[in-house]
Amino acid sequence: MTGYGLLIPELLVLVGVAWALFASALPGRDRGAAIAGAALAAVACAAVVVQPAGEALFGGALAFDSTARFARAGTAALSAVWLLWTAARGQGRTREATALALFATLGAMLMSAATDLVTLVLAIELATMPAYVLMGYRRERVEGLEGALKYFLLSLLTSLVMMYGLSFLYGVTGTTRMAGFDLSGAGVLGLLAVLLAFVGLFAKLSAAPFHYWAPDAYEGAEPWTVAFVSTAPKVAGAVAFVRLLASVAATAPVVSTIVLVAAVASMVLGNLAALTQTDVRRMMAYSGVAHTGYLMLAAAGAGAAGYAAAVFYAFAYAVPSLGMMLLVAEEGVLVEDFAGAFSRRPAAVWGAVVMLASLIGIPPLVGFFGKLTLFQAALGAGFAPWVVVAVLTSVVSAAYYLRIVRASFFGEPVAERAPLAPSVAGSVAVAMCVGATLALGLAAGPLLGWLGTAIR
Amino acid sequence: MLSWIVFLPLVGVLLCAVLPKSQAHLAKWIALATTAADLVLAGIMIASFDAASAAMQFVTDVDWVPQAGIRYALGVDGMSAPLVALSALLTMLAVLASWKVDKKPAFYFAMLLLLQVGMNGVFAALDFVLFYVFWELVLVPMYFLIAQWGGPRREYAAIKFFLYTLLGSVFMLIGIIALRLQLGTFSLTELAGLGAKLPSEVQWWLFAAFFLGFAVKVPVFPLHTWLPDAHVEAPTAGSVLLAGVLLKMGTYGFLRVSLPVLPEGFASWQFAIAVIAVFSIVYGAAVSFAQTDVKKLVAYSSVSHMGFAMLGIASGTAAGLNGAMAVNISHGLTTGMLFLMIGMVYDRTHTRQIADLSGLANQVPVIAGLMAFASFASMGLPGLSGFVGEFLSLLGAWQSTGVAAWLVIVGVLGVLFGAAYMLWMLQRVVMGQPSHIVADQPDANLREIVTVAPLVALIVVIGLNWDALLRFTDPAMTALAKLVGG
Repeated sequence: MTGYGLLIPELLVLVGVAWALFASALPGRDRGAAIAGAALAAVACAAVVVQPAGEALFGGALAFDSTARFARAGTAALSAVWLLWTAARGQGRTREATALALFATLGAMLMSAATDLVTLVLAIELATMPAYVLMGYRRERVEGLEGALKYFLLSLLTSLVMMYGLSFLYGVTGTTRMAGFDLSGAGVLGLLAVLLAFVGLFAKLSAAPFHYWAPDAYEGAEPWTVAFVSTAPKVAGAVAFVRLLASVAATAPVVSTIVLVAAVASMVLGNLAALTQTDVRRMMAYSGVAHTGYLMLAAAGAGAAGYAAAVFYAFAYAVPSLGMMLLVAEEGVLVEDFAGAFSRRPAAVWGAVVMLASLIGIPPLVGFFGKLTLFQAALGAGFAPWVVVAVLTSVVSAAYYLRIVRASFFGEPVAERAPLAPSVAGSVAVAMCVGATLALGLAAGPLLGWLGTAIR
Repeated sequence: MLSWIVFLPLVGVLLCAVLPKSQAHLAKWIALATTAADLVLAGIMIASFDAASAAMQFVTDVDWVPQAGIRYALGVDGMSAPLVALSALLTMLAVLASWKVDKKPAFYFAMLLLLQVGMNGVFAALDFVLFYVFWELVLVPMYFLIAQWGGPRREYAAIKFFLYTLLGSVFMLIGIIALRLQLGTFSLTELAGLGAKLPSEVQWWLFAAFFLGFAVKVPVFPLHTWLPDAHVEAPTAGSVLLAGVLLKMGTYGFLRVSLPVLPEGFASWQFAIAVIAVFSIVYGAAVSFAQTDVKKLVAYSSVSHMGFAMLGIASGTAAGLNGAMAVNISHGLTTGMLFLMIGMVYDRTHTRQIADLSGLANQVPVIAGLMAFASFASMGLPGLSGFVGEFLSLLGAWQSTGVAAWLVIVGVLGVLFGAAYMLWMLQRVVMGQPSHIVADQPDANLREIVTVAPLVALIVVIGLNWDALLRFTDPAMTALAKLVGG
């Protein structure tokens, strides 16, 4: 397929946005908008899947290689699951949430394909702007607004830092196309460009040491919005990260070291900090930092296998993480809120066990194959000591993930709290995450083959 | 065939999962039927196994994740076939021993069956990633068995077990990936020939990584501290399977992976392993002396007994390796039986304190007799199975050039200790006048006798006719001894 037909999935998402914006005049209103959004996102995912690989569009500003296809499909699928849950739950002003989430989805899908700096920046902004609003969705809650404001200001700052770096990159190399950067003679200026650009990206991906906004922002936000913001754009973020890394790594090898340092810091700090959290949102924020560290460890090797492993891992992280956060939205945000959950909802708790086991990296779930491929890439790049750090910290992660399991099975229920009554469609959404965690693990082969190693 | 043996229990798991709450009491029948069918399959496998051959048999080998070079490969040789059979047997007996479990029975039996999938799978897997999948699969049901149905400190023990073994196995994962990067395959059978090509320094490091993974499971001193907690807190069936099968996964790992794949790594680690093994023998025995809880005593005795298996492995000779295999099987039978007996006593008296128990022989002669029998088998009385392994392990270590003679002599002292603490325990528990707790308790019922009868029979058969076991293990072990130059 050539030409604009490649953008049909994005157009479908845009239709969903339009529907949500005019939902008050359309049948079904709030809930109808979310259902339509979920359906359109699902169709968009299917449209990406059936799409053959295509030529680049707009003179090379958007690439439609296998990596882009993987990330666009993954983002749309995550978004569809989240919208299904939201449609079932109706959190108030659902159409606004739908429109915002679909805007962000659109941005993330474009981000996955962006191979030009300007397009990339526009796509990142399109993906994150709606997230600011989502994170402060309950405007009547002051503490929520504080988190959202923190997120907004820091995200804006990091955007600026990144753009500053990217402008240097353009200044030094004279092009905005990612294929054409040559920093070999650029000296200090080239280093500065790379450093600033990646510091910005690290902060966006919540990698240490620029991760401090994440726990506060997540804690301030509603858990169901965190479920979206912390997962759906993650895959696209990973793709953008490895694309930029791949474009400069050949002529500025120092970037590999920068990424490695951030990766190790993220793994260690994220996992250790998550250990003491009592709020699952904060725990997931810190564990998100750690998982970002893992994927960066694979990418730091600056090889095609490592890039592919990083993108795969982002998806392998996002699927169970989305399901877990949706369960948190239903059960309560504290670890102790899960106490006695097993006697209330055994199936959901078993689902949580599967998803948490995947996040730990227990085979044969998708998270295990994510870790397997990325450790393989990292060992192949000669990072043996850092892989040891990675596996040690993943044992640490087991300790805090197991606390949720333990509370669910063995905890004494807290009397004065009211978890949301389970709804069928909401449970279906969670079940889809659980099913995907299992199925994508058992069928990791085809998925890895489909992802390919387009970014070199 | 092997796929059926490995995955048949999964059918039982699914049946238990869909069992309505009102029918939960049927779970044990589902579990019994599944494990019995599995045991029959394992029996057929053993009966049609060509013991003269050192090659893999009943092989299944298809692509699983071709993009990463992972295959779904199963097969057994003389090293793994007896262990698969042991796992099938002990799981069925564990189901019988759990007949009275009435707290969430469907959940309980589902976990037992899931555990069996993992255990059978570990011994049958020929692909290293598949091996790792089953290896880790074992953790989850065992965690729940301990944490849900265990003793007073069950949650602590369960977490400790989980994290400890996970810590060991992630190092194994690094080793698996490193081998794949160096040699280009995950196949355990291919690796066995290829690994020798690696430079000795690489082999040393890889051996260290695998050592951490396997030694935690065995366990050897000083990586054993999870074991007493897990054993004491676990329900009877959990202890039986922990001691009977899970510990064997560790020694099996050494025999299947560390030795054949990394012969030079083994050569440089040989002495260290022998020292650790002998230390474990003596340490386990010494600590057993000091225990006031029968279950804890048997738990520590496992450290001591598995030390003999490790000493046999460290010898690298055919005799020693056969001895290690014999300890594996025999310890599974005898310690499994001891835990079953302790479970029977506990079910009646609700105590495991040696001080509270006495005079079992007067009050419950059948239980006392079986307990004495299991203890004798465990301490290595000639004519019973325990002797075979200890004798061959020590003999192999004596023959071996890599194990110093004084280590073997210290190891022999361990046999003496083993007899001493077991006899002392028997003296206090079995002999004397029945304590008020023991008085009026009923003797073993038919179900309990049926549960231990197969173990008694096997212990005697192997003890009198060594060849019953060794004819399976010998071809594989002789080949392995050649590989490591023993």
